[in-house]
Amino acid sequence: MIRTEEMILNVGPQHPSTHGVFRVVVKIDGETIVEAKPVIGYLHRGTEKLAEDLNYTQIIPYTDRMDYLSAMTGNYVICHAVETMMGLEIPERAEYLRVMAMELGRVASHLVWFGTYLLDLGAMSPFLYAFREREMIINMINELCGARLTFNYMRVGGVKWDAPDGWVDKVKEFIPYMREQLEGYHELVSGNEIFLNRVKGVGKYDAETAVNYSLSGANLRCTGVKRDLRKDEPYSIYDRFDFDVPTETEGDAYARYLVRMEEIRQSLRILEQCVEQFPEGGEILGKVPRNIRPPEGETSVRIESPRGEIGCYIYSKKKPQPYRLKFRRPSFYNLQILPKLLEGENIANLVTILGGIDIVLGEVDG
Amino acid sequence: MLGLAKGLAYTLKQLGKEGVTSNYPEEPVEMPDRFRGIQRFYPEKCIVCNQCAAICPTDCIQLTGKPHPDPNNKKKIIDTYDINFEICILCDLCTEVCPTEAVVMSNNFELSSYSRDELFKDMDWLHENTKNVREVNRP
Repeated sequence: MIRTEEMILNVGPQHPSTHGVFRVVVKIDGETIVEAKPVIGYLHRGTEKLAEDLNYTQIIPYTDRMDYLSAMTGNYVICHAVETMMGLEIPERAEYLRVMAMELGRVASHLVWFGTYLLDLGAMSPFLYAFREREMIINMINELCGARLTFNYMRVGGVKWDAPDGWVDKVKEFIPYMREQLEGYHELVSGNEIFLNRVKGVGKYDAETAVNYSLSGANLRCTGVKRDLRKDEPYSIYDRFDFDVPTETEGDAYARYLVRMEEIRQSLRILEQCVEQFPEGGEILGKVPRNIRPPEGETSVRIESPRGEIGCYIYSKKKPQPYRLKFRRPSFYNLQILPKLLEGENIANLVTILGGIDIVLGEVDG
Repeated sequence: MLGLAKGLAYTLKQLGKEGVTSNYPEEPVEMPDRFRGIQRFYPEKCIVCNQCAAICPTDCIQLTGKPHPDPNNKKKIIDTYDINFEICILCDLCTEVCPTEAVVMSNNFELSSYSRDELFKDMDWLHENTKNVREVNRP
């Protein structure tokens, strides 16, 4: 009789498919995962604690470094929280620039996810195509705010830069191009039998589990729950746009893939309407006091980031610095379901499930 | 197998397209005017107001002033101005608050070096950083 025993396998923190410094300690029985234990904190910088010593404007660059794949939503959530507290009005033009920047960021973020996810599953070329298109977005954002990843674009009360000459036309030209490429991605990947075999039915959960684990974003919408803060609690000027909230009912990795691909299309729809409605002129920064001191009290706001619901809580004591600042970081919450999903799965499905959740380690570790 | 073949056809279609990569280190990459690169400093413009050092989120700017050589002029002039690029995050807040535009961003981003000490840039070095300086600094 052959004696078998369980083995502890350490994946990460330096592993290409963990997309950053993330470690999972898995106990495997043959090729089946018995238990998985995620280890996080390798990228912890203590953003929330650091923020207690910083002015509100100084916190904005720190939010760039949390969810670095869509830094615009991070910028927005802190500005939105302070603006809500102070009751500031944002100029029309600034709102449009913000929404355009955020939606471009959403497309770029989903493209990174699409490319790297397929790379994890062993397909090389989708990654190259996705990054080709992403590079165009990054270049556009670079022209707008002067950085490719850490934008630091928004300010309390508006934005830092106005759109350069011809920038809006560039966005306008990009939309039909991206739509065409998106069709190409479906042609390339969505029907691929190897891909389908690897993702269909993998990492499956139902709507109740998703809600109980407080998942958000595509991880929630893949189970059929129609929840998108841009629709449910419209912030900024999202109530002016006509777009759908894509949902799937399967709740597996393939459903998450479909939801994210459809979200790119919806973002392009929003961008299209933005370009059409873009106001001719106007201010980009509202009337903001020189010293930003929100009134005493607390506030909590939440918006929809590409990864889910990103929130910001501020407790102010009428000082230039917050007394307490907290971010609800969607990647961190979404990651909590990982040990449950991995239990009983084949070891080869580890990267499929982890990649499907779409985490950014800067955000998980904060 | 049909899906696989369709995907392969898409890849083959891409073969004829123009390349999108650039020949970076050999050929320099041009960044837009707004790009946030290594700062350039103009000592003659600086009024030693300390605003850049105060707004810096990482405290990487250190500056000192000295009295004006003309005893009748009570304004201070800059004595030392250092930026520690080990911790500078190139967030652009220093150039945003500078009332006289004495510190502006340039398009240069190549900062790698073999020692940490080399990343500590003083006033003379920052003044001589003359290439690709941002033309329009104010929005």
